[in-house]
Amino acid sequence: MTGNAESRPTALDRADSRVRHDAGMSGAVRGFIDRIRSGDLGSLPVVVGLVVICTVFQSLNPVFLSSRNLVDLLFDSSTVGVISLGIVSILIVGEIDLSVGSVSGLASAIIGVLWVNTGWPVGLAIVVALVAGCVIGLIYSALFNRLGMPSFVSTLAGLLAALGLQLYLLGATGSINLPYDSPLVDLGQNWIMPHLVAYALVLLAGIGIFITGSRRAAQRRAAGLTPPAIAGILARAAAFVVVVEFVVWYLNQDRGVPWMFGLFVGLVVGMDYALTRTKWGRSMLAVGGNREAARRAGINVRRIYQSAFALCATLAALGGVLSAARLASASQQAGTGDVNLNAIAAAVIGGTSLFGGRGSAYSALLGIVVIQAIASGLTLLDLSSSLRYMITGGVLAIAVIVDSLARRSRVSHGRA
Amino acid sequence: MTDATERMPPAGEIVLSLRKVCKQFGAVSALTDVDLDVHAGEVVALVGDNGAGKSTLVKVLAGVHTPTSGTVTFGGRQVTLNGPNDALSLGIATVFQDLALCENLDVVANIYLGEELGPFALDEVAMEVRTWQLLGELSARIPSVREPIASLSGGQRQTVAIARALLRDPKLIMLDEPTAALGVAQTAEVLNLIERVRDKGLGVIMISHNMEDVRAVADRIVVLRLGRNNGIFYPDSSNEELVSAITGASDNAVSRRHERRHVQRPNSGGGTS
Ligand SMILES: Nc1ncnc2c1ncn2[C@@H]1O[C@H](COP(=O)(O)OP(=O)(O)OP(=O)(O)O)[C@@H](O)[C@H]1O
Ligand SMILES: [Mg+2]
Repeated sequence: MTGNAESRPTALDRADSRVRHDAGMSGAVRGFIDRIRSGDLGSLPVVVGLVVICTVFQSLNPVFLSSRNLVDLLFDSSTVGVISLGIVSILIVGEIDLSVGSVSGLASAIIGVLWVNTGWPVGLAIVVALVAGCVIGLIYSALFNRLGMPSFVSTLAGLLAALGLQLYLLGATGSINLPYDSPLVDLGQNWIMPHLVAYALVLLAGIGIFITGSRRAAQRRAAGLTPPAIAGILARAAAFVVVVEFVVWYLNQDRGVPWMFGLFVGLVVGMDYALTRTKWGRSMLAVGGNREAARRAGINVRRIYQSAFALCATLAALGGVLSAARLASASQQAGTGDVNLNAIAAAVIGGTSLFGGRGSAYSALLGIVVIQAIASGLTLLDLSSSLRYMITGGVLAIAVIVDSLARRSRVSHGRA
Repeated sequence: MTDATERMPPAGEIVLSLRKVCKQFGAVSALTDVDLDVHAGEVVALVGDNGAGKSTLVKVLAGVHTPTSGTVTFGGRQVTLNGPNDALSLGIATVFQDLALCENLDVVANIYLGEELGPFALDEVAMEVRTWQLLGELSARIPSVREPIASLSGGQRQTVAIARALLRDPKLIMLDEPTAALGVAQTAEVLNLIERVRDKGLGVIMISHNMEDVRAVADRIVVLRLGRNNGIFYPDSSNEELVSAITGASDNAVSRRHERRHVQRPNSGGGTS
């Protein structure tokens, strides 16, 4: 084994001759095909699905891909997207929260009652709504950790309880309108990034991708590990900038990129960092993958479940606040209907597994765009909600089937 | 007489000592009044038939199960092991029989699980370098440390589990059938490793069904039978003695006689085989 260290033209991680080390462009393509074949689908089904959806709806109604419709789509995506981000965190540990819709409705009711009816400052009302969500999550985790109550049941009970509380708070009137000239409603309806700011943010993100990538490559080279090719990093960053700048340009033909969507993307990036680059995120994946192994590694499993439940319910409350802003009202209908299902479907469609241990924050972003695209397309076609529900249900079923099949394939290819 | 010097009670002080440890699972008594001492710089082999309670004993010491009764003394202090974290922070590292790895995480993540460098900005490079070093010490044949554990063979997983235990610089290391799935070279490497950590002054508890491996490295052989102590042997004890103690075939007379003789002449005899 010392011989290995002395004869060190080969990097530490290239010692085994059996592994094909994919280099260059063709290697990258080959590695990609291998991964897809073994069921490690990543975001491929979403991208394919999105292309299909866009083609179909665009051919049925040319308004679908117009800048105006896409800007609206981003506004709508942000609210449920934030809820879906919470669902990602709870799915990663292998549990579920079925009450996110009601919790978001409850949060919007709290905003309406405290801010409009009682006259509290809007900031304080938002904090109270978020704390309420967090407390609900802590209750679920206490039921789960202390009493072993399956999250499926406790959150189903919570769905009804939170809905009841929402109706109680709203009282007989049933609906509270939020003032149109307030910053919160502005955020939900009007605030758009100045065009130059949007371009600049995308450029900054591209530079950030390149800098973190090349710094990682330098660290790996210094440590005697094979670094990723700088050219590849540059290509990735450049592709990102070109594609996203084009999208931004297209949106800027109409109003532009909503700040609310920017907030959502910021949360996604933050959550991705937390999941992939921190000890907490590693522990979340470990608990979702093998709870007993995580426990034996000294991870405080209960604390991890607690953080997952609390985070999910808090993000659900935040999503409720945003959708109140979007609708400029807190009503009995807020958070009911398909909100729950859309949030869960988005996470699963985006590639987060229902079986725990696999998932990424970006699946909320990708998934919600797919779900909202379907919703928007069906609305443009003027279909009744009965049909919309059936179609959305079908899409969710397909997403879960893809997840199950991919999982089976991963197991047989040793990538569980 | 060379045997006799090898069998001197180890110079190190007692790291771990168990007294009258019992563990019940409902109606099943998996462990009954088990006593065990491990000195620093000593390899204790724990042997016994299937279901004898070896893994249960290891899990009690790893904090996975809490004992029903009995005392555990570690480093001179009586301790209660309420969870795996207690054992780990005392310096007890364990390779479990069922390995306890996360299949969805890669090799580096598994080795560093719960011990990650840089809690708020994981230092993946440093962790990967150390992982390659640990695996190198074990002559591991692992093609890539960035593949999920699910893609590894049984023996590769076992090596990962052993590397994981070594990472934390423990005072006592417990290996539950560490060589069960290993190839020839890797088994030799693990046995070498056991001797190396012993020479560093660590206490080692090793469970194995392979008497050859046991004799090769153990300083003492502790037999469990049906959850009870059933004699203490030394590497030069005869095979019949060991086998009968493990299986209980000859009503334990042999081992009782053996023990009695050791009490009278602690540092000699026994080389009758
Ligand atoms: N979690 C548990 N619940 C109930 N009974 C258990 C549990 N774990 C172990 N036992 C019982 O305790 C006894 C001892 O089991 P243990 O796993 O310690 O055996 P072992 O000596 O390690 O055997 P092997 O050589 O097959 O690994 C067995 O009878 C087993 O059925
Ligand atoms: Mg066992």
